[in-house]
Amino acid sequence: MIQPQTHLNVADNSGAQELMCIRIIGASNRRYAHIGDVIVAVIKDALPNTPLEKSEVIRAVIVRTCKELKRDNGMIIRYDDNAAVVIDQEGNPKGTRIFGAIARELRQLNFTKIVSLAPEVF
Amino acid sequence: MWSALRSGSFHRASSQSLFSLGNQSWKLGFSNLKLSFSSSSTTHDDTKELLSLEEVEKVLSDVRADNVTVIPVKKQLNWADFMVIATGRSTWHVKNIAQALIHKAGLCYCFYFSLFYIHLFLNHYIIIKQAKQKQKGAERLMLPTVEGQEAGKWVVVDSGKVIVHALDEKARAYYNLESLWASDASQLEPVEDLGSAFMKVRRINNSKRRPAQKSV
Repeated sequence: MIQPQTHLNVADNSGAQELMCIRIIGASNRRYAHIGDVIVAVIKDALPNTPLEKSEVIRAVIVRTCKELKRDNGMIIRYDDNAAVVIDQEGNPKGTRIFGAIARELRQLNFTKIVSLAPEVF
Repeated sequence: MWSALRSGSFHRASSQSLFSLGNQSWKLGFSNLKLSFSSSSTTHDDTKELLSLEEVEKVLSDVRADNVTVIPVKKQLNWADFMVIATGRSTWHVKNIAQALIHKAGLCYCFYFSLFYIHLFLNHYIIIKQAKQKQKGAERLMLPTVEGQEAGKWVVVDSGKVIVHALDEKARAYYNLESLWASDASQLEPVEDLGSAFMKVRRINNSKRRPAQKSV
């Protein structure tokens, strides 16, 4: 359940450390974003000497949420943190590696690039 | 790098005959499709894998993709068996690699006859549109899904167990996908060394050796 003003961790090596959601892309009046949704976010914290800087507006895909994710087979998945991966306008990830576990649903939502970079897929 | 440049110049030299050549190869591909029409339509239902590894390799050699690498990733990933990485010379080439794979997967049966009348580009546009519409259904994983077709820097064709990555040279150097999957395989090797390290070896006993220096 990601909404504007939610702070998220960054699950890649793009250089950003913390994001804040400012808009959910896909619908005009949508309240919450879940795993696999694209959000507009602002970088709240970034590593020095990286291409991304603080207070830059970027797009990101949500890859982990504290709110549980239900599957058709009854499985329920929830993570410890809210995390997102920074992407550009075309959907290519800004970083080259992704950290932590990632849900299988991202592959069905056409984020195969992110899934193929991920170390673990649940 | 040099070989790529050279082959690029070769391309330019034969650009007069390029279009007709391209057309011929497309026709050949379609005749193959026609032959396999009945068999592939039956396999649509029971197998998730639309493109086999041999088919992918053949298509990639047909469209002259550079530097094709096949990595078996069954041990490392639980969602795919093979990763195929190919380099295209330009964004146009990268896009074309992906389109050729979609053609091979058989999304274009209904366009078989129209190919001879409609320009190639128009055809591709319709096929991409159709593929997108089909992906919206519940069984979207049954079809080869395509990602990054608009940009053409990194296009992923996901056909179940075989994932094909087509990248341009810059993107390939940037993401360095080979090292991602090759590194896990190299981690297995020192484990074997550990096994040999645990072997019992008797130490050489130096305490009873006659001191050679004292005699001198």
